[in-house]
Amino acid sequence: MEKCQVRNNIRKLRFHHDEMTQEQLAVKVGVTRQTIIAIEGAKYPPSLVLAFRIALVFGVHLGEVFSYDPEDESNQTINKTS
Amino acid sequence: MSYQEKNITVSLVSYLLIMGYYLVKLFQMFQEGGLVSTKLFSLWALVILATIIVNIIASILTNIVLTIVEAIKAQKYDEPRFIADERDQLIGLKGIRSSYITFSVGVLVSVLAFAFGQPPLVMISLIIFFAIAAEIIGDISQIYLYRRGF
Repeated sequence: MEKCQVRNNIRKLRFHHDEMTQEQLAVKVGVTRQTIIAIEGAKYPPSLVLAFRIALVFGVHLGEVFSYDPEDESNQTINKTS
Repeated sequence: MSYQEKNITVSLVSYLLIMGYYLVKLFQMFQEGGLVSTKLFSLWALVILATIIVNIIASILTNIVLTIVEAIKAQKYDEPRFIADERDQLIGLKGIRSSYITFSVGVLVSVLAFAFGQPPLVMISLIIFFAIAAEIIGDISQIYLYRRGF
């Protein structure tokens, strides 16, 4: 299973917000818990709107929740070609 | 397992049952001496109607049963959150793509069978077979994407 290049701090941010559960976050941003699990595990890159909604719930900037790692992309490209 | 996954699983089981019925009936016709147009027309009509109606009924029943189960689990009635979010929609689209590819290949195979001398009854039978197979492949690909953690 390939992981996406979009990393996130959702687990840490949930911890700092009174151990907010994945279900609570899912309800607040209007998605299913399975989607939050997939995003948190870096298995699904969220849409820009959803990413903003998640950042809004935690009251931080988008960059503090999500980060993009271009090295991952180049590693995946190398793995695919080899 | 999410609501969407359960719904797709029920849909998959209903399509598999319809496909099984269709293949058994076709096999029986071949054993009785070949395809008879009158019997075959009624079989096609039955299968097409079953595909539409069974799926709708299965979807409604799944919704009702899941609402009851959720209410029993929570010991109270909450408005169920059977939402399809962006990930569900993306997986749904990928499933539809798999279905279209399967059906396109199926139609090509059916037309080729006709071009190489098979009767039109065989061609239409093959098209209906591939239509149901396409739905099955679409459902399987969606379940695979949900299980894999896309």
